[in-house]
Amino acid sequence: MADKARILVVDDSIAIVNSLQSILSISGYNVDSSFNGSDALRKIYKNEYDLVICDIEMPGLSGLEFLGRVRQDFDRSLDVILMTGYLEHDYFIEAIRLGASDFIRKPIDTKQMIHSIQELMFRKRSRDDIMGFYSHLNRASFCYEISAESFTSFAISKVFSSQLRQRFKVNSNVLNELLVCVDEMVYNAFIHGTLGLSVAERALGHDQLQALISEKLQVPEIKSRVLRLSFTVDNLENVIEISVEDEGPGFDHVSWLKQVQKEQILDIQEHGRGLSLLYHLSDTLIFDKGGRFVSITKSLLHSGKDAS
Amino acid sequence: MNIELTFSGEIAAMKIDGILNSENAHILQEKLSEVMQSDAKLLELDLLDCRNISSTGIGKILLFYKDFISKGGDIEVVRSSNSVYELFTMLKLNQLFTVNLG
Repeated sequence: MADKARILVVDDSIAIVNSLQSILSISGYNVDSSFNGSDALRKIYKNEYDLVICDIEMPGLSGLEFLGRVRQDFDRSLDVILMTGYLEHDYFIEAIRLGASDFIRKPIDTKQMIHSIQELMFRKRSRDDIMGFYSHLNRASFCYEISAESFTSFAISKVFSSQLRQRFKVNSNVLNELLVCVDEMVYNAFIHGTLGLSVAERALGHDQLQALISEKLQVPEIKSRVLRLSFTVDNLENVIEISVEDEGPGFDHVSWLKQVQKEQILDIQEHGRGLSLLYHLSDTLIFDKGGRFVSITKSLLHSGKDAS
Repeated sequence: MNIELTFSGEIAAMKIDGILNSENAHILQEKLSEVMQSDAKLLELDLLDCRNISSTGIGKILLFYKDFISKGGDIEVVRSSNSVYELFTMLKLNQLFTVNLG
Protein backbone atom coordinates (compact mmCIF):
# COMPACT_ATOMS: atom_id res chain seq x y z
CA MET A 1 0.00 0.00 0.00
CA ALA A 2 1.21 3.52 -0.72
CA ASP A 3 2.23 5.65 2.26
CA LYS A 4 -0.78 7.84 1.71
CA ALA A 5 -3.95 5.82 1.33
CA ARG A 6 -5.84 6.57 -1.88
CA ILE A 7 -9.56 7.16 -1.44
CA LEU A 8 -12.28 7.49 -4.09
CA VAL A 9 -15.27 9.59 -3.02
CA VAL A 10 -18.51 8.97 -4.94
CA ASP A 11 -21.51 11.26 -4.55
CA ASP A 12 -23.81 13.06 -7.00
CA SER A 13 -23.62 16.18 -4.80
CA ILE A 14 -20.71 18.41 -5.82
CA ALA A 15 -20.84 20.14 -2.44
CA ILE A 16 -20.42 16.87 -0.52
CA VAL A 17 -17.63 15.66 -2.81
CA ASN A 18 -15.75 18.96 -2.42
CA SER A 19 -16.24 18.98 1.31
CA LEU A 20 -15.02 15.37 1.71
CA GLN A 21 -12.09 16.02 -0.59
CA SER A 22 -10.95 18.91 1.61
CA ILE A 23 -11.39 17.03 4.88
CA LEU A 24 -9.64 13.88 3.64
CA SER A 25 -6.80 15.78 1.97
CA ILE A 26 -6.15 17.74 5.17
CA SER A 27 -6.13 14.40 7.03
CA GLY A 28 -3.33 13.18 4.76
CA TYR A 29 -5.15 11.02 2.22
CA ASN A 30 -4.91 11.10 -1.57
CA VAL A 31 -8.42 11.73 -2.81
CA ASP A 32 -10.10 11.20 -6.16
CA SER A 33 -13.78 11.74 -6.92
CA SER A 34 -16.69 10.59 -9.09
CA PHE A 35 -20.20 11.98 -9.38
CA ASN A 36 -21.93 8.74 -10.34
CA GLY A 37 -21.57 4.98 -9.89
CA SER A 38 -20.74 4.15 -13.51
CA ASP A 39 -17.84 6.59 -13.63
CA ALA A 40 -16.65 5.30 -10.24
CA LEU A 41 -16.65 1.71 -11.55
CA ARG A 42 -14.59 2.79 -14.56
CA LYS A 43 -12.12 4.50 -12.23
CA ILE A 44 -11.64 1.56 -9.92
CA TYR A 45 -10.94 -0.77 -12.86
CA LYS A 46 -8.37 1.70 -14.15
CA ASN A 47 -6.73 2.99 -10.97
CA GLU A 48 -5.81 1.54 -7.62
CA TYR A 49 -7.65 2.71 -4.52
CA ASP A 50 -7.39 1.62 -0.93
CA LEU A 51 -10.93 2.63 -0.08
CA VAL A 52 -14.15 3.91 -1.66
CA ILE A 53 -16.61 6.16 0.16
CA CYS A 54 -19.90 6.04 -1.73
CA ASP A 55 -23.32 7.61 -1.29
CA ILE A 56 -26.21 5.12 -1.26
CA GLU A 57 -28.81 7.33 -2.94
CA MET A 58 -27.53 8.32 -6.37
CA PRO A 59 -29.30 8.62 -9.72
CA GLY A 60 -28.39 5.86 -12.17
CA LEU A 61 -26.33 3.20 -10.45
CA SER A 62 -27.22 3.34 -6.75
CA GLY A 63 -24.66 2.89 -3.99
CA LEU A 64 -25.97 -0.63 -3.31
CA GLU A 65 -25.78 -1.57 -6.98
CA PHE A 66 -22.29 -0.11 -7.14
CA LEU A 67 -21.28 -2.14 -4.08
CA GLY A 68 -22.72 -5.31 -5.61
CA ARG A 69 -20.69 -4.79 -8.79
CA VAL A 70 -17.50 -4.10 -6.82
CA ARG A 71 -17.96 -7.25 -4.76
CA GLN A 72 -18.64 -9.29 -7.88
CA ASP A 73 -15.25 -8.37 -9.30
CA PHE A 74 -13.09 -7.51 -6.29
CA ASP A 75 -14.46 -9.87 -3.63
CA ARG A 76 -13.47 -8.28 -0.31
CA SER A 77 -10.19 -6.78 -1.41
CA LEU A 78 -11.54 -3.24 -1.83
CA ASP A 79 -13.23 -1.62 1.16
CA VAL A 80 -16.39 0.36 0.52
CA ILE A 81 -17.93 2.72 3.10
CA LEU A 82 -21.52 3.68 2.35
CA MET A 83 -22.90 7.13 3.17
CA THR A 84 -26.57 7.75 3.75
CA GLY A 85 -28.95 10.32 5.15
CA TYR A 86 -31.16 7.60 6.53
CA LEU A 87 -30.72 3.88 6.95
CA GLU A 88 -33.78 1.71 6.69
CA HIS A 89 -33.56 -1.77 8.10
CA ASP A 90 -33.90 -3.47 4.67
CA TYR A 91 -31.23 -1.24 3.15
CA PHE A 92 -28.92 -1.98 6.03
CA ILE A 93 -29.38 -5.76 5.73
CA GLU A 94 -28.83 -5.62 1.98
CA ALA A 95 -25.68 -3.52 2.38
CA ILE A 96 -24.29 -5.97 4.95
CA ARG A 97 -25.16 -8.89 2.69
CA LEU A 98 -23.33 -7.21 -0.20
CA GLY A 99 -20.27 -6.63 1.98
CA ALA A 100 -20.27 -2.94 2.96
CA SER A 101 -17.17 -2.30 5.07
CA ASP A 102 -18.79 0.43 7.18
CA PHE A 103 -21.48 3.14 7.18
CA ILE A 104 -21.34 6.90 7.57
CA ARG A 105 -24.45 8.84 8.43
CA LYS A 106 -25.13 12.21 6.81
CA PRO A 107 -24.55 14.93 7.93
CA ILE A 108 -21.05 13.55 8.23
CA ASP A 109 -19.35 13.39 11.60
CA THR A 110 -15.73 14.00 10.52
CA LYS A 111 -14.19 12.43 13.61
CA GLN A 112 -16.25 9.27 13.21
CA MET A 113 -15.42 9.06 9.49
CA ILE A 114 -11.66 9.40 10.06
CA HIS A 115 -11.83 6.79 12.83
CA SER A 116 -13.64 4.41 10.49
CA ILE A 117 -11.08 4.98 7.70
CA GLN A 118 -8.17 4.40 10.09
CA GLU A 119 -9.74 1.16 11.31
CA LEU A 120 -10.22 -0.12 7.76
CA MET A 121 -6.71 0.91 6.73
CA PHE A 122 -5.34 -1.00 9.72
CA ARG A 123 -7.17 -4.14 8.56
CA LYS A 124 -6.03 -3.57 5.00
CA ARG A 125 -2.41 -3.43 6.15
CA SER A 126 -2.82 -6.92 7.67
CA ARG A 127 -4.13 -8.18 4.32
CA ASP A 128 -1.27 -6.41 2.55
CA ASP A 129 1.21 -8.22 4.81
CA ILE A 130 -0.02 -11.51 3.30
CA MET A 131 0.44 -10.00 -0.14
CA GLY A 132 3.88 -8.81 0.92
CA PHE A 133 4.83 -12.35 1.90
CA TYR A 134 3.81 -13.73 -1.50
CA SER A 135 5.58 -10.91 -3.32
CA HIS A 136 8.86 -11.91 -1.64
CA LEU A 137 8.67 -15.54 -2.72
CA ASN A 138 10.65 -16.48 -5.80
CA ARG A 139 7.80 -18.67 -6.93
CA ALA A 140 4.39 -19.70 -5.62
CA SER A 141 2.42 -22.62 -7.05
CA PHE A 142 -1.19 -23.69 -6.57
CA CYS A 143 -2.78 -26.93 -7.77
CA TYR A 144 -6.45 -27.91 -7.78
CA GLU A 145 -8.01 -31.20 -8.75
CA ILE A 146 -11.74 -31.00 -9.42
CA SER A 147 -14.06 -33.93 -10.03
CA ALA A 148 -16.32 -33.69 -13.08
CA GLU A 149 -19.33 -33.84 -10.79
CA SER A 150 -18.18 -30.90 -8.66
CA PHE A 151 -17.14 -28.78 -11.59
CA THR A 152 -20.59 -27.42 -12.34
CA SER A 153 -21.07 -26.29 -8.71
CA PHE A 154 -18.33 -23.66 -8.78
CA ALA A 155 -17.39 -20.60 -10.79
CA ILE A 156 -13.74 -21.55 -11.26
CA SER A 157 -12.70 -18.19 -12.70
CA LYS A 158 -14.03 -16.48 -9.55
CA VAL A 159 -12.00 -18.79 -7.32
CA PHE A 160 -8.92 -18.16 -9.45
CA SER A 161 -9.54 -14.41 -9.42
CA SER A 162 -9.95 -14.38 -5.66
CA GLN A 163 -6.77 -16.43 -5.08
CA LEU A 164 -4.77 -14.15 -7.32
CA ARG A 165 -6.15 -10.87 -5.95
CA GLN A 166 -5.66 -11.84 -2.32
CA ARG A 167 -2.03 -12.78 -2.79
CA PHE A 168 -0.54 -10.92 -5.71
CA LYS A 169 -0.54 -7.44 -7.10
CA VAL A 170 -1.73 -7.87 -10.66
CA ASN A 171 -2.51 -5.07 -13.08
CA SER A 172 -6.29 -5.09 -13.75
CA ASN A 173 -5.93 -5.37 -17.56
CA VAL A 174 -3.61 -8.35 -17.18
CA LEU A 175 -5.97 -9.88 -14.62
CA ASN A 176 -8.96 -9.49 -16.99
CA GLU A 177 -7.04 -11.27 -19.72
CA LEU A 178 -5.94 -14.00 -17.33
CA LEU A 179 -9.56 -14.53 -16.27
CA VAL A 180 -10.60 -15.03 -19.87
CA CYS A 181 -7.69 -17.45 -20.41
CA VAL A 182 -8.66 -19.52 -17.37
CA ASP A 183 -12.29 -19.52 -18.47
CA GLU A 184 -11.30 -20.72 -21.95
CA MET A 185 -8.95 -23.39 -20.65
CA VAL A 186 -11.20 -24.81 -17.97
CA TYR A 187 -14.43 -24.58 -19.99
CA ASN A 188 -12.85 -26.22 -23.05
CA ALA A 189 -11.33 -28.97 -20.91
CA PHE A 190 -14.72 -29.67 -19.32
CA ILE A 191 -16.91 -29.40 -22.43
CA HIS A 192 -14.58 -31.05 -24.94
CA GLY A 193 -12.33 -33.21 -22.79
CA THR A 194 -14.39 -34.35 -19.83
CA LEU A 195 -17.85 -34.43 -21.44
CA GLY A 196 -16.88 -34.85 -25.10
CA LEU A 197 -19.77 -32.71 -26.37
CA SER A 198 -20.28 -32.41 -30.13
CA VAL A 199 -20.59 -29.08 -31.98
CA ALA A 200 -24.38 -29.50 -32.18
CA GLU A 201 -24.61 -30.30 -28.47
CA ARG A 202 -22.53 -27.25 -27.56
CA ALA A 203 -24.93 -25.04 -29.51
CA LEU A 204 -27.94 -26.11 -27.40
CA GLY A 205 -29.80 -23.53 -25.33
CA HIS A 206 -28.78 -23.08 -21.70
CA ASP A 207 -31.47 -25.29 -20.12
CA GLN A 208 -31.08 -28.08 -22.65
CA LEU A 209 -27.30 -27.95 -22.30
CA GLN A 210 -27.52 -28.14 -18.51
CA ALA A 211 -29.86 -31.14 -18.79
CA LEU A 212 -27.46 -32.84 -21.19
CA ILE A 213 -24.50 -32.15 -18.88
CA SER A 214 -26.39 -33.68 -15.95
CA GLU A 215 -27.19 -36.71 -18.07
CA LYS A 216 -23.56 -37.12 -19.20
CA LEU A 217 -22.37 -36.87 -15.61
CA GLN A 218 -24.38 -39.99 -14.80
CA VAL A 219 -22.12 -42.03 -17.10
CA PRO A 220 -19.59 -43.71 -14.75
CA GLU A 221 -16.63 -43.19 -17.10
CA ILE A 222 -17.34 -39.44 -17.35
CA LYS A 223 -18.26 -39.08 -13.69
CA SER A 224 -14.92 -40.50 -12.62
CA ARG A 225 -12.90 -37.98 -14.66
CA VAL A 226 -11.10 -35.08 -13.02
CA LEU A 227 -9.80 -31.71 -14.13
CA ARG A 228 -6.52 -30.32 -12.91
CA LEU A 229 -5.89 -26.60 -12.78
CA SER A 230 -2.57 -25.25 -11.62
CA PHE A 231 -0.85 -21.92 -11.71
CA THR A 232 2.57 -20.66 -10.75
CA VAL A 233 3.49 -17.06 -10.18
CA ASP A 234 7.17 -16.49 -10.84
CA ASN A 235 8.15 -13.25 -9.15
CA LEU A 236 11.70 -13.41 -10.48
CA GLU A 237 10.54 -13.41 -14.08
CA ASN A 238 7.25 -11.59 -13.47
CA VAL A 239 5.40 -14.33 -15.26
CA ILE A 240 2.38 -16.47 -14.51
CA GLU A 241 2.03 -19.98 -15.87
CA ILE A 242 -1.42 -21.57 -15.96
CA SER A 243 -2.13 -25.14 -16.98
CA VAL A 244 -5.24 -27.27 -17.27
CA GLU A 245 -5.39 -31.01 -17.83
CA ASP A 246 -8.44 -33.15 -18.50
CA GLU A 247 -8.91 -36.91 -18.78
CA GLY A 248 -10.73 -36.90 -22.13
CA PRO A 249 -9.55 -38.23 -25.50
CA GLY A 250 -7.49 -35.11 -26.32
CA PHE A 251 -7.50 -33.25 -29.64
CA ASP A 252 -5.34 -32.84 -32.73
CA HIS A 253 -3.33 -29.88 -31.52
CA VAL A 254 -0.51 -30.56 -33.98
CA SER A 255 -2.67 -29.68 -37.02
CA TRP A 256 -4.07 -26.67 -35.23
CA LEU A 257 -0.63 -25.36 -34.37
CA LYS A 258 0.58 -25.82 -37.97
CA GLN A 259 -2.35 -23.71 -39.11
CA VAL A 260 -1.66 -21.05 -36.48
CA GLN A 261 1.96 -20.74 -37.48
CA LYS A 262 0.94 -20.29 -41.16
CA GLU A 263 -1.75 -17.74 -40.40
CA GLN A 264 -0.85 -15.19 -37.76
CA ILE A 265 -4.37 -13.79 -37.56
CA LEU A 266 -6.77 -16.59 -36.83
CA ASP A 267 -9.96 -17.01 -38.79
CA ILE A 268 -12.81 -17.33 -36.36
CA GLN A 269 -14.90 -19.42 -38.77
CA GLU A 270 -12.27 -22.10 -39.27
CA HIS A 271 -10.58 -22.70 -35.94
CA GLY A 272 -11.63 -22.97 -32.34
CA ARG A 273 -12.49 -19.56 -30.99
CA GLY A 274 -11.40 -20.52 -27.48
CA LEU A 275 -7.97 -21.53 -28.70
CA SER A 276 -7.74 -18.42 -30.87
CA LEU A 277 -8.40 -16.31 -27.81
CA LEU A 278 -5.83 -18.20 -25.77
CA TYR A 279 -3.30 -17.72 -28.53
CA HIS A 280 -4.13 -14.05 -28.73
CA LEU A 281 -4.02 -13.34 -25.00
CA SER A 282 -1.06 -15.45 -23.89
CA ASP A 283 2.66 -15.12 -24.46
CA THR A 284 3.29 -18.84 -24.91
CA LEU A 285 0.79 -21.60 -25.57
CA ILE A 286 1.84 -25.23 -25.12
CA PHE A 287 -0.08 -28.46 -25.66
CA ASP A 288 0.96 -31.87 -24.40
CA LYS A 289 -0.35 -35.33 -23.55
CA GLY A 290 -2.23 -35.72 -26.82
CA GLY A 291 -4.01 -32.39 -26.43
CA ARG A 292 -5.31 -33.17 -22.94
CA PHE A 293 -2.90 -30.73 -21.37
CA VAL A 294 -2.73 -27.05 -22.22
CA SER A 295 -0.48 -24.51 -20.62
CA ILE A 296 0.01 -20.80 -21.13
CA THR A 297 2.45 -18.27 -19.78
CA LYS A 298 1.77 -14.59 -19.58
CA SER A 299 3.94 -11.73 -18.50
CA LEU A 300 2.56 -9.83 -15.56
CA LEU A 301 4.09 -6.72 -17.16
CA HIS A 302 3.77 -7.02 -20.95
CA SER A 303 2.85 -9.52 -23.70
CA GLY A 304 4.57 -11.41 -26.50
CA LYS A 305 3.78 -14.52 -28.55
CA ASP A 306 5.04 -18.07 -29.07
CA ALA A 307 3.19 -21.34 -29.57
CA SER A 308 4.36 -24.97 -29.54
CA MET B 1 -21.38 -9.01 -15.43
CA ASN B 2 -24.47 -6.92 -16.01
CA ILE B 3 -26.64 -6.46 -19.11
CA GLU B 4 -29.11 -3.62 -19.68
CA LEU B 5 -31.47 -3.94 -22.63
CA THR B 6 -33.81 -1.18 -23.84
CA PHE B 7 -35.98 -0.85 -26.93
CA SER B 8 -36.77 2.31 -28.85
CA GLY B 9 -38.76 1.80 -32.04
CA GLU B 10 -36.77 -0.56 -34.24
CA ILE B 11 -33.58 -0.12 -32.22
CA ALA B 12 -32.54 -2.40 -29.38
CA ALA B 13 -29.76 -0.99 -27.18
CA MET B 14 -27.75 -3.44 -25.10
CA LYS B 15 -25.11 -2.36 -22.60
CA ILE B 16 -22.80 -5.06 -21.23
CA ASP B 17 -20.59 -4.36 -18.21
CA GLY B 18 -17.92 -6.60 -16.68
CA ILE B 19 -16.44 -9.80 -18.06
CA LEU B 20 -18.58 -11.99 -20.31
CA ASN B 21 -17.49 -15.59 -19.86
CA SER B 22 -18.77 -19.18 -20.00
CA GLU B 23 -20.34 -18.83 -16.56
CA ASN B 24 -22.63 -15.96 -17.54
CA ALA B 25 -22.96 -16.26 -21.35
CA HIS B 26 -26.44 -17.78 -20.94
CA ILE B 27 -27.65 -14.41 -19.59
CA LEU B 28 -26.50 -12.80 -22.84
CA GLN B 29 -28.25 -15.56 -24.77
CA GLU B 30 -31.54 -14.80 -22.97
CA LYS B 31 -31.23 -11.06 -23.73
CA LEU B 32 -30.39 -11.75 -27.37
CA SER B 33 -33.47 -14.00 -27.62
CA GLU B 34 -35.55 -11.04 -26.38
CA VAL B 35 -34.11 -8.92 -29.21
CA MET B 36 -34.78 -11.68 -31.73
CA GLN B 37 -38.41 -11.93 -30.64
CA SER B 38 -38.89 -8.16 -30.80
CA ASP B 39 -39.49 -5.90 -33.82
CA ALA B 40 -35.96 -4.49 -33.55
CA LYS B 41 -34.04 -4.18 -36.82
CA LEU B 42 -30.82 -2.85 -35.30
CA LEU B 43 -28.98 -4.02 -32.19
CA GLU B 44 -26.67 -1.36 -30.78
CA LEU B 45 -24.10 -2.91 -28.48
CA ASP B 46 -22.41 -0.69 -25.92
CA LEU B 47 -19.27 -2.54 -24.80
CA LEU B 48 -17.35 0.38 -23.34
CA ASP B 49 -17.52 -1.09 -19.83
CA CYS B 50 -17.18 -4.67 -21.00
CA ARG B 51 -13.69 -5.61 -19.90
CA ASN B 52 -13.36 -8.79 -21.90
CA ILE B 53 -15.36 -11.48 -23.67
CA SER B 54 -14.58 -15.18 -23.76
CA SER B 55 -15.21 -17.38 -26.78
CA THR B 56 -18.54 -18.57 -25.34
CA GLY B 57 -19.83 -14.98 -25.34
CA ILE B 58 -18.52 -14.40 -28.85
CA GLY B 59 -20.22 -17.62 -29.95
CA LYS B 60 -23.57 -16.33 -28.65
CA ILE B 61 -23.13 -13.04 -30.52
CA LEU B 62 -22.22 -14.84 -33.76
CA LEU B 63 -25.14 -17.26 -33.54
CA PHE B 64 -27.46 -14.33 -32.92
CA TYR B 65 -25.90 -12.34 -35.79
CA LYS B 66 -26.51 -15.20 -38.23
CA ASP B 67 -30.20 -15.44 -37.35
CA PHE B 68 -30.68 -11.68 -37.00
CA ILE B 69 -29.35 -10.74 -40.45
CA SER B 70 -31.48 -13.48 -41.99
CA LYS B 71 -34.56 -11.59 -40.76
CA GLY B 72 -33.19 -8.26 -42.04
CA GLY B 73 -31.50 -7.08 -38.83
CA ASP B 74 -28.05 -5.66 -38.22
CA ILE B 75 -25.62 -5.19 -35.32
CA GLU B 76 -23.44 -2.22 -34.52
CA VAL B 77 -20.97 -1.96 -31.67
CA VAL B 78 -21.45 1.72 -30.82
CA ARG B 79 -18.70 1.85 -28.18
CA SER B 80 -16.13 -0.66 -27.01
CA SER B 81 -13.25 -0.88 -24.54
CA ASN B 82 -9.72 -1.20 -25.90
CA SER B 83 -9.52 -4.90 -25.06
CA VAL B 84 -12.87 -5.74 -26.68
CA TYR B 85 -12.07 -3.65 -29.76
CA GLU B 86 -8.74 -5.41 -30.12
CA LEU B 87 -10.39 -8.79 -29.67
CA PHE B 88 -13.15 -8.12 -32.24
CA THR B 89 -10.57 -6.87 -34.72
CA MET B 90 -8.32 -9.87 -34.14
CA LEU B 91 -11.25 -12.22 -34.72
CA LYS B 92 -12.28 -10.19 -37.80
CA LEU B 93 -15.73 -9.49 -36.38
CA ASN B 94 -15.33 -5.92 -37.67
CA GLN B 95 -15.73 -7.41 -41.15
CA LEU B 96 -19.21 -8.63 -40.20
CA PHE B 97 -20.49 -5.48 -38.50
CA THR B 98 -19.34 -2.01 -37.51
CA VAL B 99 -17.19 -1.94 -34.38
CA ASN B 100 -16.44 1.48 -32.87
CA LEU B 101 -13.82 2.10 -30.22
CA GLY B 102 -14.43 4.19 -27.09
